[in-house]
Amino acid sequence: MTAPRMMRGLMAAVIALPLALLGACGGDDSSSDGKTELTFFWWGGEARAKLTEQALALYTQKHPDITFKTTWQANQGYFDKLATLTAGSDAPDIFQIDDNYLAEYGTRNVTEDLTSYQSSGKLDLTKFPEGLWKYGLVDGKLAGMAMGENTQGLVFNKTKLEAAKQELPKTGMSWEDLIAWAQKAGAATKVAGTMDPSADYKALWVWLRQNGKQFYNGNQLGFAKEDVQKWFELWKGARDAKATPTADVIHEGNATDITKQTVVTGKALTSWVWANQMPDIQKNTKDTLGVVAYPGDPSAQWARASMYFSVYRGSKDKDAAVDVINFLANDPEAGKILGTDRGLPSNLDIRKQVEATTTDPAMKASIALESELLPKFGTPPSVPPKGHSTVKTELVKAAEAAQFGTVTPAQAAEQFFTAAQAAVAG
Amino acid sequence: MSPVAVSTRSPAHRPQSGPAASQRRGRPARHSDDGRAGYVFLAPWLLGLAAITAIPMLMSLYLSFTDYDILSPWSDVTWIGLDNYREMFTADPAFWHAVRVTLVFALIGTPLKLGAALGVAMLLNRSFRGSGVFRGLFYLPSLLGGSVAVAMIWRSIFDRTGAVNAFLAWFGIEGKAWVNDPSTALGTLILLAIWQFGAPMVIFLAGLKQVPVELYEAAEVDGASPFRKFLSVTLPMLSPVIFFNLVLETIHGFQGFTSAFVLSGGTGGPVDSTLMYTLQLYLKGFANFEMGYASAMAWVFLLAIGLVTVVIFRTGRFWVHYSDGDD
Repeated sequence: MTAPRMMRGLMAAVIALPLALLGACGGDDSSSDGKTELTFFWWGGEARAKLTEQALALYTQKHPDITFKTTWQANQGYFDKLATLTAGSDAPDIFQIDDNYLAEYGTRNVTEDLTSYQSSGKLDLTKFPEGLWKYGLVDGKLAGMAMGENTQGLVFNKTKLEAAKQELPKTGMSWEDLIAWAQKAGAATKVAGTMDPSADYKALWVWLRQNGKQFYNGNQLGFAKEDVQKWFELWKGARDAKATPTADVIHEGNATDITKQTVVTGKALTSWVWANQMPDIQKNTKDTLGVVAYPGDPSAQWARASMYFSVYRGSKDKDAAVDVINFLANDPEAGKILGTDRGLPSNLDIRKQVEATTTDPAMKASIALESELLPKFGTPPSVPPKGHSTVKTELVKAAEAAQFGTVTPAQAAEQFFTAAQAAVAG
Repeated sequence: MSPVAVSTRSPAHRPQSGPAASQRRGRPARHSDDGRAGYVFLAPWLLGLAAITAIPMLMSLYLSFTDYDILSPWSDVTWIGLDNYREMFTADPAFWHAVRVTLVFALIGTPLKLGAALGVAMLLNRSFRGSGVFRGLFYLPSLLGGSVAVAMIWRSIFDRTGAVNAFLAWFGIEGKAWVNDPSTALGTLILLAIWQFGAPMVIFLAGLKQVPVELYEAAEVDGASPFRKFLSVTLPMLSPVIFFNLVLETIHGFQGFTSAFVLSGGTGGPVDSTLMYTLQLYLKGFANFEMGYASAMAWVFLLAIGLVTVVIFRTGRFWVHYSDGDD
C-alpha cells in the first residue's frame, strides 16, 4: 500500500520542482535595498558598446543606486528580439529605436509618452534643434528622444575619381547632371558611375520633396503613382546609359549592410547613405571617400533623428530611465565619451564641443556636410507612419523588378503604389 | 534474416502508430499502478511537451483567428474569425507566390536529393580501401546541415566573383551572379539542398547492407544485367527505406528556411525569387507585425504538410514492398 503513496509523493515532487524553479526566476528586479537595475538594449558594433558602457558607468558613478543590465547586438535581428521581448511584456526599460519602427511602437503605446517629462524639465530638450526633437512625435506623443542627427549623404570615391582626373560631385547638381557625370566618370574610371538608388526610400523621399510632394502626409502616401513611375523611368534611363552597375550588383548594394555598399565593394563610384555612416564606410575601404548632399535642391533634405532612445511604458522605473537618457544627451562628459557614434549630438552645445575635438577625417567630412546644410534644411517631415517598414521592402521589390527588366517602370510603379497603400492602410 | 525484418519494418509501422498508441492508452485502466508510475516517469517530458509545444501551438491556433500584432498587449487582441484565412486565399498574391516557390523547391529538390543520396550510397556500399573515410566525407555537409555558415559559403561560391565563375572562366564561359539573379537564385538554393544529402545517404547505406546477397546471386545465375538487378532486386528491397526517406525529406524540403534567409539577407529577394513559405511567414510576423496572419499561415502550412504526408502514405501501398512475408 505504500507504493501508490510514494508515487503520489513522487508526482508532486516532479510537478513542484519546475514550478519552484520558475518561481525563482521571476521577481529578480525588486529593489528592496533601494538599488535599481535598469535594462538597456541597443544595436551596434563593438565600438558603440564600449562607448555606451563607459557613459553608463559614469552615470552609475554619479548615481550609485542605479546600475545597468546592458544587451546589444547587430542591427539584423535586433527588431525581432525587441518585438519578442515586447510581446512577453518584458521589453527593456530603455531601448534604441529608429524612425523605421518608432511609429509602430509609438502608436501601439509600447513607448512612454515623454511629453510630461519634457514640460517638467526632467527631460531637457531646449538645446535640441526644434525640428529634431519634434521628429520624435508620433500622434502628438513624444515616443522617443532623438539621440543623434543625420541627413542624406552621397558618398563618393575620391581616390578613383582623382586618379582618372574626373570632377567630383557637388552639392546642388541636378539629378540629370549627376547621371551625366556618372556616365562620363564611369567610362573614365572603368567603374560604374553611380549606384542606382531607385530602391532607396530616402533618395525617393528627397526627390519627391524637390518636386513638391512628400513621401507621407500623416498616415497617407504623399505621392501619386505617376511620381513613382517618373522616378523609376529616371533610373531606367541611367541604367540604359550605363551610368549604373548591372542589376545583380545593384541588388547587392540594396542591402542595408554597410560593408555591401557599392562604394565599399568598389563596384560603383557612389553610394546613397546617411551622412553619419561615413566613418563606418570609410573604415571598410582603403580609398579616400568624400560626401556631398543628394542631387537637386538640398533644402529638400532635413535634420533627421538618426536614432532615438525610448522608455518602455511598462517599465517599473520610468523616472530613473528618463533621467538616464537625459544624462546621455545633455551631460557634457557623457557627450564627450559618446562623440558622434549615434549621429551628430542632438544637444547643440555638445555638438560644438565634439566638433572642436574630433580628429577622424571621415567624421570631419560628415560634420562639415551637416554644418553646411544646417541653414538650408527644409521643414522636417513627420515620422514615417505605421507600415513604413513594409513600404520600404515593397519599394525594393518593385525597383528591383524594374532593374532586372522583368517589368516596365510603369508596372513597377503600379505594383509598388498598390502595395504601399495597403501597407499604410492596414 | 531477422535484422532485415527489423530495419525494413520500422517505416511500415509508422502508419499504425495511431491505433497502437490508443490501445496503449487504454491499458492503465487494467494495470492502474503500472500506468501511474509510467506517467510519473513521463512527467518531465509531458510538462515539456505541454509548456514548449502544446500550449504555444494552441495559442497560435487562437491567434490565427485574431489581428494580433505582437506589440500590442493581449487586451487589444480582436477576434476576426476567418478573415486571416480568407485574405490568404483570396487577396494575398505574395502568399501564392511563396507557395509556388516552396513547391518548386521541394518538388525539384527532394527527388534529386534522394537520387544523389541513393547513387552515392550504392557507390560507397562496395568495400574498398578508405570507404569509411569517404562515407564520413560525404556525410559532412549534412552535419553542417542548416547552419548559417554553409549558406554564407554557398553565397560566396555562387557570387559573381565566386569559385563557380572562376571555374567556368577556364572554359571561356562567362558566368553570372547566380545568387543575385532572380532567374538562378532559387536554383542555387536547390543545389545547396541536394548537396546536403548525407542523412538519407546513411539510411540508404544501412538499407543496402540489409539486402540479402542470395537475391543478387540468384539474379546473376538467371543472367540479369546490373541494371536489371538494380531494378528488380535493389529497388524493391529498398522501397521501405526509400519510402521513409521520401517522407522525411519532403517534409524537410517544405520547411526550408535558413538557406533562403541567409542567401537573400532575410528578404526573399532578388525580386521574391527565394521567398519560401516559411520566410514569408517570418516576414509577415516580424517585419509587418501581422502575427495573427502569420499564425494562420503556420496552420495552413501544418495542414498542407500533413496532407502531403498522407498522400505519400497512400501511394506507398502500391510501391513499397515488405519482404518479411510472414503477414
